[in-house]
Amino acid sequence: MFRLARHLLHLIVSPVLNGGRYLIAGSWKRGLALLVTLALAAVVGGLMFAWLGLASVSARSGHWPVTEWFLHMAMRNAVETRSVSVKPPLTLDDPKLILKGAGHYETGCSSCHASPGKGQSLIVQQMTPMPPVLATRIKEWTPEELFWIVKNGVKFSAMPAWLAPEREDEIWAIVAFIRKLPELSSEQYEHLALGTSASGWRQNQEAGLLKGLDDPLGPTLANCVRCHGAKGEGRGPSTIPILAGQRERYLLESLEAYANGERKSGIMQPIAAALDDQTRRELARHYASLARPEPAARVSEQTEAIQRGETIAQYGVPRQGVPSCAHCHGPRQTPRNPIYPDLSGQHADYLTLQLELFKSQKRGGTAYVHLMHSAVRRLTPEQMSDLAAYYAAQTVEASQ
Amino acid sequence: MTLYTSRQIGLNGRHGGMIAPVIAVGGCDLHGPQSALSPAGVGAEQISSLFWWMAGGAVLIWAVVIGIALYATLARPRKKHDVQGARWLIIGGGIVFPTVVLTILLSYGLMLIPKLRSTGNVDLHVAVSGEMWWWRVRYTSPAGEPVELANEIRLPVGKRVSLSLTSPDVIHSFWVPSLSGKVDMIPGRENTLILEPTKPGTYRGVCAEYCGASHAFMAFRVVVMEPQDFEAWLTHQAQPAVSSGSPSARQGEQAFLVNGCGACHTIRGTAADGRVGPDLTHVGSRLSLGAGMLPNDAQTFARWIGHTQQIKPEVRMPSFGMLPEEQLTALATYLSGLK
Repeated sequence: MFRLARHLLHLIVSPVLNGGRYLIAGSWKRGLALLVTLALAAVVGGLMFAWLGLASVSARSGHWPVTEWFLHMAMRNAVETRSVSVKPPLTLDDPKLILKGAGHYETGCSSCHASPGKGQSLIVQQMTPMPPVLATRIKEWTPEELFWIVKNGVKFSAMPAWLAPEREDEIWAIVAFIRKLPELSSEQYEHLALGTSASGWRQNQEAGLLKGLDDPLGPTLANCVRCHGAKGEGRGPSTIPILAGQRERYLLESLEAYANGERKSGIMQPIAAALDDQTRRELARHYASLARPEPAARVSEQTEAIQRGETIAQYGVPRQGVPSCAHCHGPRQTPRNPIYPDLSGQHADYLTLQLELFKSQKRGGTAYVHLMHSAVRRLTPEQMSDLAAYYAAQTVEASQ
Repeated sequence: MTLYTSRQIGLNGRHGGMIAPVIAVGGCDLHGPQSALSPAGVGAEQISSLFWWMAGGAVLIWAVVIGIALYATLARPRKKHDVQGARWLIIGGGIVFPTVVLTILLSYGLMLIPKLRSTGNVDLHVAVSGEMWWWRVRYTSPAGEPVELANEIRLPVGKRVSLSLTSPDVIHSFWVPSLSGKVDMIPGRENTLILEPTKPGTYRGVCAEYCGASHAFMAFRVVVMEPQDFEAWLTHQAQPAVSSGSPSARQGEQAFLVNGCGACHTIRGTAADGRVGPDLTHVGSRLSLGAGMLPNDAQTFARWIGHTQQIKPEVRMPSFGMLPEEQLTALATYLSGLK
């Protein structure tokens, strides 16, 4: 027995010793052969280890410190290197951008990354790697790096990529909001991301603007109002659109376009895709039935921008190949295809953003979206903001 | 692309028949609707006669040069040529003769210009704007009002017509080989071309300066008519649109307005007053669709509206294939009925 063991040991050890001797003796070919053999043995051994199911993939134990160091080093350096070409927008402190990011943070991020007043869930704390509590860690990253992470996600962690990578405006909104996280109290967070306090909820429910939980629309609407407002007024100032009084067919087809990915948005796509057909129809009917709020400015005020916008909206810019807007979007006396949205009284910021997105063909939309691609192709940025100013100042009555 | 397009839109025999002989004889179809050698206007006649004289002269000179070359390679003269004489042949034939001939041709060419371009005795003014990729045409009606038409020019035979040629986008070139030479349409400039058609008939004009993806699909028809027919035509074109009023045509008119076609197109007499694309008031009366591309009938019209981008790449009009089939059919019935 002892002799057998010694024999086996000899069998294993002697090639190693001999290999050393070959190396020392200067026969590099044999040395190389030995190294290749060892490398192959390591690869085959590693494969066997994984194939036999011996590797630990349990999240319970975490990583070895060395693995953790290596993975984080690789991740941090990759993010730093790859975010070199990212260009941030002019201002990340814009309240419009922050408000736009807030609602989605609550929907898509807070369950893992925690929010002011609400710690990380115990379930999330059992993940490997554990998602960081953002408020405490956000300062470790530049805005460009945050943008890259939100846009692309992180492999080997549970961080997903942004659903609509072309909507960089949305990604910047998230970045703008998460950079504000450390300074937000739980009340401020609630105001930004949930929009309404408990007393506000009761008021709205009494006014019939919110449905009860037993109503099929109840839980869904409770989610919509966080950004679009209890009266569909589109919380502002922001690029969140007014839905109240919008045409039902447009609302429905837009929800469907979001759901099937034809209209691009990392914020709206997941929400719309989770709704069933019936709920989408009822939502469209509900918002179409609400009264559109009075515009902040009036066409009668006739600022220069509004005047210029009116000319473009009514007559287009024929020399530039820009058609009029009013034939499809009002205000006009003739009937219009109900799939074309009514723009009167809409938020100017939302309109400008849509025009920009149409021009860069990053918005997507219904089967009619290509009409807008050719309509806005030659609009200048000034003309876009003039048009937005005009439509924002237009009352709904005038358009019907 | 052309193959695909023709299958898509079902080119009819008339169109195919026009292209085939041109390809078959390499542009030598002397009597086609687009031939500088079959002149039907004063300018084209002068260009044509100049061409024949030059061609004859060129053949003559060619024969002499080849003859000398053959003589030089094949002849075995017993006596050496006189060096002085050979030198005079080179100077005379190589320098003096071409200078004299070219000077005569240049002078003759320059002499033609004032008469061709003279704006005196002009009976009719027409403004033509070359746009990517169609032709905007403006007449003044007998009542003195401006009338905007598209992709078709009609002229009275025997009258001098002044065309003012412009472009809002890129350089185009206006060329009706059967009537006259070509003149460029340059953004920011107004060029003038005088036409004086001499023979009634239908001629084809093209854009003769590469102007983008659908340059080859930017053609038009010129119809030269008897003066009284021309007057009647222009009076009719100046009228607002008259729809047949059939249920399908009414449905088509509704679809036209509801879908916003009027943002780009004008149909006089309706709420459609767009100025971006061609005026469609009497589109059904035109000889072709899509700027000289397609025959003008209801079936082709429906295909054109539904597959605009496939038929004419990069044209500004978006395809309306997303409209329900019955709306496309109604639109086509309505528009092709606007005679």
